Amino acid sequence: MIRLENVTKRYGSETVAVRDASFDVAKGDFVFLVGPSGSGKSTILRLINRQERPERGDVWVAGQNVNDLPDSRVPFLRRNMGNVFQDYKLLTGKTVFENIAFALEVIGKPRHVIARQVPIVLDLVGLAGKEDRFPNQLSGGEQQRVSIARAFVNRPLILLADEPTGNLDPATGEGIMSLLDEINQTGTTVVMATHDHRVVNAMRRRVIQLDRGVIVRDQERGVYE
Amino acid sequence: MIARIAYAFREMWASFRRNLTLTAAAILTSAIALLLVGTTLLIQRAFENLLVQWKGDVAMIVFVRSDATPEQIALIDESIRSAPTIINVDKLQYLDKTQTYEEAKRIFAGDPVTLSLLTPENIPSEFKVVPITQDPALVRSLSEQYRSLPGVEDVALAEDEFEVISTLSIFVRTVTLVMSLVLLVVAVGLIWNTIRTAMFARRREIEVMKLVGATNWFIRVPFMLEGLLQGLIGAVVSCGGLWALNSAWTNGVAGFKPGTGISSLVVPSGYLSGVMVVILLIGALAGAIGSAIAASRFLDV
Repeated sequence: MIRLENVTKRYGSETVAVRDASFDVAKGDFVFLVGPSGSGKSTILRLINRQERPERGDVWVAGQNVNDLPDSRVPFLRRNMGNVFQDYKLLTGKTVFENIAFALEVIGKPRHVIARQVPIVLDLVGLAGKEDRFPNQLSGGEQQRVSIARAFVNRPLILLADEPTGNLDPATGEGIMSLLDEINQTGTTVVMATHDHRVVNAMRRRVIQLDRGVIVRDQERGVYE
Repeated sequence: MIARIAYAFREMWASFRRNLTLTAAAILTSAIALLLVGTTLLIQRAFENLLVQWKGDVAMIVFVRSDATPEQIALIDESIRSAPTIINVDKLQYLDKTQTYEEAKRIFAGDPVTLSLLTPENIPSEFKVVPITQDPALVRSLSEQYRSLPGVEDVALAEDEFEVISTLSIFVRTVTLVMSLVLLVVAVGLIWNTIRTAMFARRREIEVMKLVGATNWFIRVPFMLEGLLQGLIGAVVSCGGLWALNSAWTNGVAGFKPGTGISSLVVPSGYLSGVMVVILLIGALAGAIGSAIAASRFLDV
C-alpha cells in the first residue's frame, strides 16, 4: 500500500529530515513511527500525502509513484487518505456535523450522501447526539474523535495520524487508540507517528524507529525502547 | 454538479459579507476607474461629432448653394480639379444634399433648433477637398478663388475650425485615458488585496480542504467569483454615474448658443448603452484578473 525507496528529504541545505529511508507497508497494516521530536516522523507522513516531495528516492502509494503525480492529481491521491493531527485542525465556526460534512462537501459529494454518511461515522466514533455542538464545547478526546470521523468519513485506504494522543491524558488516549484499532480492523491501513511509549507498548504493532532521520529499527509487534 | 455550484456561490457570498470595508473600497475604486474609462469614450465620441466632416485629411470644404444648377456644380468640380499640384484629385469627394443632410444630423446632434431649420432640400451640398501640398497658404489662396465662383455659398478651412478642437480632443482624451488606466490598475490591486485578505482569514479552512482532497479549482472558484462580483458591482455603480453625468451634460449644453459647436458635444443614447456594456465587461474582467492572481498566488497557505 505504501512503499518508500531510499527516500531522502532535506529542509534547506543543512537540516536532513529523512535520510535514505526505505520501508513497505502492506494493506491493512498498523504501523507506528516512533522517535524523538525532529527525528523525521512527521516528514514521512507529509511525504506520503505529498505535502512534501523527496529530494531523492521514490514514494509509492497504492501502486502510484507519488513523485510523478502532476499537481492536478494530488487532490485525488489525498481522497484515499485521512489525516489526523495532534491539534485536531477542526474549524471552530462549524458544528461537529458541519466539520465532518465539510470534508465530503469540498470533494463534491451530493447532499443526500452527506446526510447519510455523517451520522454513520459519528456513531462509529461514539459522538452520536453531539452533532450540533461546536468544537469548543467538546473535550479534547471528543474533538479528536471528530477529527478522526472527518478523516474516515470518506472511507480512505490509508489513515495518517500525527501524534493523535499528544494532547490527551492517558485514559482518553487509550480510547482514541481503540478507535484507531477499530478503523484498522475495517481494512484501513494506519500509519501513526508518536512518541507516546504507553500506546506503542500497549498495542504491540509494527514499530519503525527513527533517529535524526535514519530508520534504526523496523520490528513486527514491537515496543517503544 | 449543482451541489458544487451552490457551494461556490454560498461561499462567495459569505466571504463577501465578512469583509465589508475592504470590499467597499475595492468596489468604489473600480467604480471611479470605470467611470473615467466611460467618460473617456464619451468625450471621444462627442468630439467626433465636430470632427466628422473633417475626417480623412479633409482640409477644405466648398459648400454649394442649394439652388445651384448642375452646370454650376460641374464648373466648381472642374475648377477644383484644375489644381492637381495642390489638391489630391483622387480623394476629392462630392456629397449631394441627402448625404450632407445625414452628416448634419451628427454635427447638430445637440442643436435641434439649427437641425430643424435644415431639410434635404434647402441644405447646401459640399465638395470635400484633400490637399497634396503641405503649405496651408496655398490651400487658403485657392479657397479665396473658389469663394467667388457662381453657386458657391461658402468655403470652410480646417485650419480655422478644426485644429483647435482636434488638439483639445487629443489632449482631453490622453489625460482621461492615462488617469483611467492608472485607476484601473489600482482597482485590480485593491481587489487582489481584498481576495488575499479573504483567503488569509480562511487559511485553516483552505488547509483542511487541501488535506481532504479538494481540487485547487474548487478552492479557488468562490474567491474568483467574489472578485468578479466586486468588479461587476463597481461597474454597475459607474454606469449609474455615467448616466447621470451624461444627462446633466446633455441638458447643460442644450442651453448653449447654437452654432458655437459646444452643443454638438453630445452622444446618442445607443452609444451610451454600448459604453455601459463595455464598462460592465471591463469591470468583471478586472475583478476576475485581480482575484485570479491572488487565488493562484496564495493558495499555498
